[in-house]
Amino acid sequence: MQKKTILFSLNGEPREWSVYPNELLLNVLREQEFLTGTKYGCGIGECGACTVHINGEPILSCLTLAIACEGKEILTIEGLAREGKLDPVQIAFLDQTAFQCGFCTPDMILMTRALLNEIPNPTEEQVRDYLRGNLCRCTGYASIMRAALDASVLNAHRSVQSNEE
Amino acid sequence: MRDFDLLQPQHLSDALDALAQNDSAIRPLAGGTDMLVDIRAQRAKPDVLVSLQNISELRGITRENGTLKIGAATTIAEFLKHPELTKHDALRYAAYVFANPMIRNSATIGGNIGSASPAGDMLPPLLALDAHIELVSKNEARVMPLSDFFLGPRKTAKRANELITSIQLPVISYQSPVSSLQSPVSSAFYKLGLRQADAISLISVAVWIQRDGEKIRDVRIALGAVAPRPMRAIRAEEILRGEIFNEMNLKESARIASEECSPIDDLRASANYRRRMIAVYVRRMLEQAWSKTQ
Ligand SMILES: Cc1cc2nc3c(=O)[nH]c(=O)nc-3n(C[C@H](O)[C@H](O)[C@H](O)COP(=O)(O)OP(=O)(O)OC[C@H]3O[C@@H](n4cnc5c(N)ncnc54)[C@H](O)[C@@H]3O)c2cc1C
Ligand code: FES
Ligand code: FES
Repeated sequence: MQKKTILFSLNGEPREWSVYPNELLLNVLREQEFLTGTKYGCGIGECGACTVHINGEPILSCLTLAIACEGKEILTIEGLAREGKLDPVQIAFLDQTAFQCGFCTPDMILMTRALLNEIPNPTEEQVRDYLRGNLCRCTGYASIMRAALDASVLNAHRSVQSNEE
Repeated sequence: MRDFDLLQPQHLSDALDALAQNDSAIRPLAGGTDMLVDIRAQRAKPDVLVSLQNISELRGITRENGTLKIGAATTIAEFLKHPELTKHDALRYAAYVFANPMIRNSATIGGNIGSASPAGDMLPPLLALDAHIELVSKNEARVMPLSDFFLGPRKTAKRANELITSIQLPVISYQSPVSSLQSPVSSAFYKLGLRQADAISLISVAVWIQRDGEKIRDVRIALGAVAPRPMRAIRAEEILRGEIFNEMNLKESARIASEECSPIDDLRASANYRRRMIAVYVRRMLEQAWSKTQ
C-alpha cells in the first residue's frame, strides 16, 4: 500500500493530505485534522453521525475513502459558521435547544442545511423524509423538527437581508 | 480496515486493462456503499480496487436509437432529478424510498446491479421496464436482458474481467413526456419494509403496463426479496396479456404471482406472510399503474 497526496478544500481552506488508499474520510478528519464534530457512530452507514458535505451534497464520511476527495470541497460542521456568524440552522437549533447529548447535532444541522439548499420551504413531511437516515437517541426528534422548520424561516430572512446589503 | 491498493483510472480502457491483467482479487469500486461495508465485515477481501469514480464514460444519460442509455455510475440521487429518469414512476419511486439522501448521493445503479441482492430496490423496476445491461471487457462488449443477468443471491453472469457500463431501457417503456395521465403506458413500484424509512425490503413489487382501450396490451411484473434473485412473474403476466383489465383477471394474476415466488422465513418475516403480501401488492400496483394510463 502506498500513500498518495491529495489536494482539496476543507471548510474553505486549501489542504493537502497524504493518505493510504484504505483510509476513510471520517478517520482522517477526526485523527489528522482533529475536526471531531464529525462523529463516528456505527461506521457502516446506519446512523448518519458522520455526515459531511462534499461539493455541497451530504454524504457519509464513514463510507467514503479519503483518497477519493481529490479536488473536492469538503464542509464539516466546524466550517458552517462564517466569519464568526452562525448559520441560521445553527441559530434555530440553539433557540429550540434541539439537542441533549449533542452527538447527532452536527449531522442534523448539516442535513438541515443541505435540505434548505434543495428545498427552501420544506413541509414537516419533507423534513422527516430528508432526515430519515440520521438517528437521535435523546430528543425524540420533536425539537429537531421544530428547529428545522424554524431554520427555513430564519434562512429566508437571512437571504433577504444579504440581498439588501 | 484491510489493506488494499486503489487504482483511479480516468478512462474505461484503463480500468478494463487492469481487470484483464489481474486475478480475482481485483474488484470494481463505485459508490462503495456495499463494498466498503463488505470489506469491513470481511465479506469481501480484495487486494486491489478499481475506482470507477473518475471515468466519465460511465456517467451520463443519453437517448440512442430508441433506447435510453443510463451510465452505470449514475447515482440513485440522479434518479430523483434527471428529467429522462423521473418519467418512469416505478424507478422514481424506488429511488425515493432508497436508503436516505446521503447514501443516494454515493450509491450507483451499477453498484445496485453488481451487488445483485434479491432485495436491491432498483432491480424490480428495471426488470419491469425490460432493462438490458451492457457488459464490457477488454476484448468484448455484450448486451443482455437484465433478467438473464441474475443467477442467484449475489451471483451474476458478469465475468471477473467485465464492467457493467450501462443500463438500457427501450423507449416503449416511456411514459408520455407531457403527463403520465395521457399515456397508454405506466409503471408502479412498492417496497414493503418493517418501518417506513431506511428499511430493507420484506418484499417489493414493480409493474409496467401498456393499455389498449379496456384491454391490457402488454404487462411486466417483477418481484424483489421473494426468491434467490430479483425475478419476473412470467406466468402472472401471461394471465393478463391481451385480456380485459378486470377484478377476476387481477385476482388470478396476483394469486399466481404469489405461487411463482419462493420466499424464505427469516427474522424479518415468514415466507407465508411474504407470499400473501405479494398477492396484495401485485394487485395494488397493477391497479395503480392502470389508473395512470389512458
Ligand atoms: C445504510 C445503507 C442503506 C442501504 N439502503 C439500501 C436500500 O434502501 N435499497 C437498496 O437497494 N440498497 C441499499 N443499500 C445497499 C447499497 O447502497 C446499494 O446496493 C448501492 O446501489 C450499491 O452501489 P455502490 O455504487 O455503492 O456500489 P459499490 O459498493 O461500489 O459496489 C457494489 C458491488 O458492485 C460492483 N460494481 C459496482 N459498479 C460496478 C460496475 N460498473 N461494473 C461491475 N461491477 C460493479 C462492485 O465491485 C461491488 O461488488 C444500503 C446500504 C447502506 C450502507
Ligand atoms: S458513522 Fe457513518 S453512518 Fe454511522
Ligand atoms: S441529542 Fe443525543 S443523539 Fe441526538
